[in-house]
Amino acid sequence: MSIVQPYTEAYRNYLFDESRTMGRADYIAFPRNEAELIEAVRFAHDNHVPLTAQGARTGLAGGASPQGGMILNLSRMNRILGIRRDENGRFLLRVQPGVTLIAVRKALRDKNFDVSGWDEESRETLKDVRAGALFFSPDPTEPTASIGGMASCNACGARSFLYGCTRKHVGALRAVLADGRVTALARGRERARGRDFELPCTDGTTLRGRLPDFDTPDIKDAGYLLRADMELIDLFLGSQGTLGVISELELLLLPSPALLCGVTAFFPDDENALQYVCAMKRFDPKPASIEFFDRRALSLVEAQKAETPAFRQLQPLPENYCCAVYVEFNLDEENGLCPVLETLAPVISRSGGDPDDTWVARDELELEKLLLFRHSVPETIDLHVEKNKKNEPEITILSTDMAVDDEHFDALFHLYKRDLEESGLPCLIFGHIGENHVHPNILARNLDEYRRGHALFEKWARDVSQMGGTITAEHGAGKIKRKLALIMYGPEKMRALWALKRQLDPENILGPGNVLTEVEA
Amino acid sequence: MKIVVCVKQVPATGEQRLDPVTGTVIREGVPSILNPFDAYALEEAVRLKERFGGEIVALSMGVPSAKETLRRALAVGADRAILLSGRAFAGADTLATARALSLAVCKLGGADLVLCGRMATDGDTAQVGPMLAELLGVPHAADVAHIKRVENGRMTIARMTDDGYRCERLPLPALLTVVKEINVPRLPSVTGVLRAARAEATVWDAADIGASPEDVGQRGSRTRVVRTARPEKKAGCRMLGGAAALLTALKAKGDR
Repeated sequence: MSIVQPYTEAYRNYLFDESRTMGRADYIAFPRNEAELIEAVRFAHDNHVPLTAQGARTGLAGGASPQGGMILNLSRMNRILGIRRDENGRFLLRVQPGVTLIAVRKALRDKNFDVSGWDEESRETLKDVRAGALFFSPDPTEPTASIGGMASCNACGARSFLYGCTRKHVGALRAVLADGRVTALARGRERARGRDFELPCTDGTTLRGRLPDFDTPDIKDAGYLLRADMELIDLFLGSQGTLGVISELELLLLPSPALLCGVTAFFPDDENALQYVCAMKRFDPKPASIEFFDRRALSLVEAQKAETPAFRQLQPLPENYCCAVYVEFNLDEENGLCPVLETLAPVISRSGGDPDDTWVARDELELEKLLLFRHSVPETIDLHVEKNKKNEPEITILSTDMAVDDEHFDALFHLYKRDLEESGLPCLIFGHIGENHVHPNILARNLDEYRRGHALFEKWARDVSQMGGTITAEHGAGKIKRKLALIMYGPEKMRALWALKRQLDPENILGPGNVLTEVEA
Repeated sequence: MKIVVCVKQVPATGEQRLDPVTGTVIREGVPSILNPFDAYALEEAVRLKERFGGEIVALSMGVPSAKETLRRALAVGADRAILLSGRAFAGADTLATARALSLAVCKLGGADLVLCGRMATDGDTAQVGPMLAELLGVPHAADVAHIKRVENGRMTIARMTDDGYRCERLPLPALLTVVKEINVPRLPSVTGVLRAARAEATVWDAADIGASPEDVGQRGSRTRVVRTARPEKKAGCRMLGGAAALLTALKAKGDR
């Protein structure tokens, strides 16, 4: 039987992702290995069927939601294939794209791998690995995300302040191209010459092309990465399934820190929090993450405790505070916490906080409590979106992940606040403030609010573009931010991106509706 | 109000490893934590102190490294910490433990309230709290889910029972063992952690609390571990093909 089956209603759950963007499909395939994946892509290619690759469907931008054609679901390509050490002694874990982040974390933590099918080198290398000694640092809030999905949108999450985004931690990958050929790329190996590139394929052929003549923003960004002389692996990291389907990845593993700890501090107003964040960006040791929660985010979670039993294990908030900043430290010293707190206490005081009204997590166990709080914010937003969607099916999550550089962040933050205040829309702001990247969310209750929210996002996209920022720092443009991507790139650059895509995907079958928008010539 | 909170250092893992010879819990190589139930007792003490003022003493019996667990109690609000440690205390059963703790409470000059977690996650006996109350000669309530009122030297509490909550009033001094429903334990503050880092738990040995070697430790124990075994996990799942197969399976089960 062919790997490709006709779509039926039984597969309805594969039409959408966490953004609640509903799609449609004619076929569905669940490949278990690269050969089956190639078979599915060839079917699409030969029959001019567009295909949408999806992993765990935890994306927030609709990238995995199909727009007709084939759903290429990679969740059964969920094996860890092997481990090796490179010439610098670093460990690299070879995985299929559908393996989830949590599965990788658990396997590394417990040193529990299914080694059937592993080669001798991998089995030997594994002997040198202690349980819990290695970790994969990218940390998007949702641990059930698939590694392939994280790579496709260059997911970042909180700890990227210290470690960088997913892109930095992918050492090699294999991708199936639109015609079913496979390219294998490694960091530090294949590069563009100027703007000209040549993708080597495993069948000995090459695919030649030319990159667009512009550079994408030089900040954390979930979209295409374009540079002269760029590493070709980066073409497939952040391109959200529009240039190829990732069939295998090698993940760079880091030595686990000796101690994970964190501090949540509370501040009387946003300006104090910003001042604290500024100090924390320069703090030594460098934090792993700096996260912000505004007053509305704190109150929303507090109110949700009545309905969600899991949230009742969250500690009550101190009184008379407006917002909170969570800072996590990943330290090399097991006894490193107290020296850090000695330095931190006066910084909190100077910024208008009180070291007495803080929450300290002294180890990973306690950190889970702070992370539960952090995760409860997007969870609560999800619950609200779900509720509002019942009244108005068109409503999706309205969250942005725009980012700018250090210099422009204050202006952007105040712009968000002013615009939200004026709009009167139900909203909240939280997120990765350390990287100048917070998530203003609008909890639209009806279509009018939903549309006004969208209009506001479009305005911000123009503002952010003028500041040299990005409209998507970590979620990707997917489908729901395509319009914002057009605002950021403008018609001319959009045409150049299409020209790039046509060189890799002449029939336009890969990831229809993701990132790119047709513009008139 | 003077409150003594009894805390225990336990292995962090849920899967206990048992010594095949002695039947006791193997603690080596397993990170230690504050017994999770005791965190609720400690939190309740801190809340009572915030309302009524007074002093909180964290009391533990264990190996010297339990000082670190006590330091954690100091960080969230205990005013001082006492550790009963020494060879004489080793191998104690619940009664010998309760006896040592009662002598320590006496040496502290007694307490208005003694708080314990409902049980420790390593031994699961839930005996030390009630035994300690008997030895101190004070009333106790086990599995307390809510302290409703404290007034005129009396305390009104709600106990969690199999059938629901049971309200009781008891005169102080008293002892309560608490369940997880009673509160949400707080994380320490920056100030708290730094204060605790500078503080040190006081260590008392058997002589310090006036215990004779026959009263405490293995010699003071009235029980012996004869055998230990891990309970078998009996959960299982059988996949059946269709409703007819389900009916047959249910019928077969009913016939037996």
